[in-house]
Amino acid sequence: MSAKNHKLFILRPGDKFEPLNLVLGENYREEITFLVLPGVTAEIDLNAELSGAGAEVKIRGLFLCCSDEKVSIRTNIRHSVPSTSSSQLICGIAGGQSRASFAGRIVVVQDAQKTEAIQTNRNILLSDSARIETHPELEIYADDVQCSHGATIGRLSEEEQFYMRSRGIPEGEAKILQMISFLAPVLEGREDKEALMQQIEKSLRQMV
Amino acid sequence: MKESLLRIEGLHAGIGGKEILKGIDLDIRPGEIHAIMGPNGAGKSTLGAVLTGKPGYEVTSGRVSYMGRDLLAMAPEERSWAGLFLSFQYPVEIPGVTISAFMKAAIDAKRQNAGLPAFTGAEFLKLLREKMAFVKMSPDFAKREVNVGFSGGEKKRNEIFQMAMLDPALSILDETDSGLDVDALKIVADGVNALRSPEKSAIIITHYHKLLEYVVPDKVHILKAGKIVASGGREMVDVIENNGFEKF
Repeated sequence: MSAKNHKLFILRPGDKFEPLNLVLGENYREEITFLVLPGVTAEIDLNAELSGAGAEVKIRGLFLCCSDEKVSIRTNIRHSVPSTSSSQLICGIAGGQSRASFAGRIVVVQDAQKTEAIQTNRNILLSDSARIETHPELEIYADDVQCSHGATIGRLSEEEQFYMRSRGIPEGEAKILQMISFLAPVLEGREDKEALMQQIEKSLRQMV
Repeated sequence: MKESLLRIEGLHAGIGGKEILKGIDLDIRPGEIHAIMGPNGAGKSTLGAVLTGKPGYEVTSGRVSYMGRDLLAMAPEERSWAGLFLSFQYPVEIPGVTISAFMKAAIDAKRQNAGLPAFTGAEFLKLLREKMAFVKMSPDFAKREVNVGFSGGEKKRNEIFQMAMLDPALSILDETDSGLDVDALKIVADGVNALRSPEKSAIIITHYHKLLEYVVPDKVHILKAGKIVASGGREMVDVIENNGFEKF
């Protein structure tokens, strides 16, 4: 197995994201992580074609919106040969009057048997005037594949918040704990998880 | 005579426009353990919810003073800092938050509010281990997500563990004994008894007499249809055990 390539993008206010177009050959493994911090309006455009057996792409992303940001995320994964895999986990939190959208396309061509593809998009709305849209789109033409997708949009549980507050954890802290636990899976397994989480926590403190 | 720790006067409260508590009066002094017994639907859990400030419950009239303060004007976290603790009938699962992180946040907030310096990691860990041993919880639980995948007994033990960590002046145990086997019940009872002191009080809400065999109350109140219909000493427990709530 060849080594894995890691790409980490941290978007702060004013940053732009150049569309990423990857072609992954045999046994080529790529991991892409993006963190969209509050105050960023951006389009994240990720395209990957898995064109050699054993190719693997892992996409991890999170976005935090709290005012009038517009974040649009598009992923487009094409499994064009047998025995490749892709996994996507995108978690977002939207408050204020922000707008966020996720469109995730996965194409598995007819002879790309033994494809594994997972796509998960989880979202939390913090306000009534924020909007989140999620559009999973799977086109699967092969029959021996393992593909799954899931999308959720929810709110922070008030029941959990009351439980924490009844133990003396202030409401804002309770929300931060909830949001950290919601976002943590995005950074799971990374060596720099703690350091990145600290940056995220700082941002969350501005949001509550 | 000592001053009241908690004084409830003419409390009317409900949820969603429906009145559940229809005039409660209660006076709890430091060191006293009160049992509130009653059939299902009497308003026992509503009383616990109102005292801890659960959102959604409305107090329509009456007053509650705690340590001389207007309890109903305090946020749930402020009530906790002032030493009020509710052991939940249905403890809440918090996926992704470990018991250790949960308790660290709680203890940090409590100490900060009291103007005390934050515990160091070592100090916190020492307290955590000590209190876990106290309720016979395996130290592995510190890393488990709060109540996620816990058995009924483990959840209740976790409540008593939190109570021991926070060392409250007034503990309200809402049906803490329901669904417990004898061993778990004893652990809960030992926990409550060990925290007894001349300054600390407890309200035990239950519809069984089971826990009250191990934790002997000073006063027993019968709550029925939103009102306290009878009050007495510990002998009331036997009356209820033999005759049920019918005659009240």
